[in-house]
Amino acid sequence: MSVESPGRYVGGEKNQIIKEDVLKELRERGECTAVRTAFCFPDVYEIGMSNLALQILYKLLNSEDYTSCERVFSPWHDMDRKMRENDIPLYSLETKSPLYEFDVVAFTLGYEMAFANVLQMLELGKIPLKSCDRKETDPIIVCGGPVAYNIEPMSDFFDAVFMGEGEELDLEFIQEIKKYKDGGKKDRQAMLREVAKIEGMYVPSLYEPEYSPEGKFIALHPIDDTVPSKITKRIIKDLDSVLYPTAPVVPNNNIVHDRAYLELFRGCIRGCRFCQAGYITRPVREKSADTLLAQGKEIEHNTGYDELGMLSLSTSDYTELAKLTDGLLCAFDGRHTSLSLPSLRIDNFALDLMEKASSTRKTGLTFAPEAGTQRLRDVINKGINEENILSALRLAFMGGWSTVKLYFMLGLPTETMDDVRGIAELAKKIEDLYYDVAREMGVKPRRPEITVSTSMFIPKPFTAFQWEKQNTMEEFLEKQACLRECLKKVRSVRYIWHGVETSVWEGILARGDRRLNDVILDGYKAGSLFDAWDDNFNYERWMGILASHGLSWEMYARGYECGDVLPWDHISVGVSRNFFLKERERAYREEITPNCREKCSACGANCFKTGVCYETR
Amino acid sequence: MRQDDRAAEMTRQQHLTQYVCRARFARKGALSFIGHLDLMKVFERAIRRAELPILYTQGYNPRPMLVFALPLGVGIDTTGDYVDAAMAVPVNAEEFMAKVNPELPQDLEVLSCISIDEPKRSLMSVVTYAEYEIEAPGITEPALRLFARDEILMEKKNKKGKIVSTDIRPLMVKPFEDSTADKVHVLVSAGSVSNLRPDIFIRAVCIHEGYDPDKASEAVITRTALFGGEYPDIEGIEGLV
Repeated sequence: MSVESPGRYVGGEKNQIIKEDVLKELRERGECTAVRTAFCFPDVYEIGMSNLALQILYKLLNSEDYTSCERVFSPWHDMDRKMRENDIPLYSLETKSPLYEFDVVAFTLGYEMAFANVLQMLELGKIPLKSCDRKETDPIIVCGGPVAYNIEPMSDFFDAVFMGEGEELDLEFIQEIKKYKDGGKKDRQAMLREVAKIEGMYVPSLYEPEYSPEGKFIALHPIDDTVPSKITKRIIKDLDSVLYPTAPVVPNNNIVHDRAYLELFRGCIRGCRFCQAGYITRPVREKSADTLLAQGKEIEHNTGYDELGMLSLSTSDYTELAKLTDGLLCAFDGRHTSLSLPSLRIDNFALDLMEKASSTRKTGLTFAPEAGTQRLRDVINKGINEENILSALRLAFMGGWSTVKLYFMLGLPTETMDDVRGIAELAKKIEDLYYDVAREMGVKPRRPEITVSTSMFIPKPFTAFQWEKQNTMEEFLEKQACLRECLKKVRSVRYIWHGVETSVWEGILARGDRRLNDVILDGYKAGSLFDAWDDNFNYERWMGILASHGLSWEMYARGYECGDVLPWDHISVGVSRNFFLKERERAYREEITPNCREKCSACGANCFKTGVCYETR
Repeated sequence: MRQDDRAAEMTRQQHLTQYVCRARFARKGALSFIGHLDLMKVFERAIRRAELPILYTQGYNPRPMLVFALPLGVGIDTTGDYVDAAMAVPVNAEEFMAKVNPELPQDLEVLSCISIDEPKRSLMSVVTYAEYEIEAPGITEPALRLFARDEILMEKKNKKGKIVSTDIRPLMVKPFEDSTADKVHVLVSAGSVSNLRPDIFIRAVCIHEGYDPDKASEAVITRTALFGGEYPDIEGIEGLV
């Protein structure tokens, strides 16, 4: 059997966990007493193994004797074909067990474009696709991750959904499944009702949607009053004491992010109004530098990786960054281990750190101004101004850097063509600055490399912009063309842009409701798979299927009224709807909101009684 | 690979003393499904986990100094390949094995090891022949017929992308007596001067002797030994330092 990169289908890596007692039971009796979970990542191995949630929860679900966990990834087209031709069911890497033999099949969902792959994995795993078609002995299909906060477009396929952080919730859920398994898997409905009683667990089948005759979503009703009308996410209060995988699985073949990771903190103090990741992970909770130092040394020793990445939404906001990086650099002295520090705000400290931390040459600097004018940056509450950017770059150019990447979004609320042209003007100022610095320093300038990258703004649930209208395809294309024209005048700029079509489709899925379930099913049946891979994505087919269900782009992208019930209103991430509304109004007034450490803006996340909300300011 | 050679050269130029552990290793199962560069990384990380005093290459991107005798293609098992690991201080062979083996992933194992102080020749340059066992239904008979030919032209792309015909017969040294109907055991040229990949050999059996390509695609290939010297005076890699 010849398939591309066969190493992704075989497992056998260092630090892989196979529970011997479970294996023995399985061999002897064909079943076991522990609850077996297949942890599924709906993309290829090389993407999935780069995911920290997978490594954390894999370790967690193998940490107690009543639970075991194995990994499953989405087979690429070639393997998918071979498995169907030869009737090979999708199997786990650890024990090569078919998916249908597991008690729980758990997906982590990081992006909407992976939806079709969930269906592929279920189908190849010989599991009924729809929750309502599953029998008592079929696995229980669950999911978590950022996309799970609005799972309505996929609600038919999941038996239960985790709202919040897995470390807090998973074992409680597994214990409930253990009871079900011990009892001989008699009454699936009763079990799901028990699961729904766990705080933070959402069982979609216990709710019914209502639409107006005009086809507008009106409400989602619990089927009776024993079902909670609101599900609030669960989070870890103290990250220092929670399990962290210091011996993660080390892949044998090259993966996308081939390094070890430390997670500095969860949440983000910044409050950028478009950013779902920032809001859904509130409040900010840090790990102490001492914990991280100890874990960093352990990880480096246990993996043999020569690069340790610092993960968080905004590395510079970590309050003990200097202590941590000094400590790690000291510990790794002479060991040829470098640190990677993404999302650093560029200042003297950061430049110095980058010089020290990485053993390799000067790589490019990355900025995400997101918008081209100060007005629009204030609208989105991006706490960064032109002066910050230029003074940081002045330092960087003086220090010998000459490669700069700039990330922007097109289609942000209130955007005008002036804002679009502003992107090119900023790029021009940066180019001029480079030559100015070279002249001042009396050196012969090289040609700077300035990359401008644009993506399309997609309004996401649980953000201040969750009600916004998304730009039409024509608007996006016009803005892209305008920017491309303006950037032609800036010689050192390379412009790269992301596909408009994928953004339009992602926008529909992100704010979708339950009517999209059958659209996604039909799209999958028609051949859609790996939509996150640009050359696999078929826009016309998806839009055609959407239309065949009597639905349209307008219904999802036109935006919602402030008074509308939103398809995800039964979920709470702690940040109140009221706060989002106020933030929206401030956006229109171009007013910035101070970050969580400057001043509390009473978003509501203090309901979790932890983190930055309780720091002394 | 060439980078490793360069690195070894640089170290020599710097007059750093190298204490080399030359390990003979086997791989099978999951580990056979990865490419040569991945296998190098697997070894690098295992040696780092083992906390052995490995030397690093110089330059922008320092890497542990490992030199492999001959790249292993994806899907090929081995029971007798070699890797040289350059240490900053002498490490005895038993210690190397005891520390590295627990750190290797399953299906990869160091079978034996010798210590060499300051090798004069690079491991890659001493390899001249390789032994393969190729297991596939009924392959031996057509494979032996192939050995009976005087000339076996195979098309391949040269470095410029042009298709050229070359005769691979001179690279096929001999079949071994212990071949059975479904398993052919052969000695072929290998190394940096002239090299016959086992998949090319199998393809030649298909093209010239009409062997079924479907059966060929299921072949299990194992490299069983590497040699230096000039046939018939071939010798084991251990002694070639």
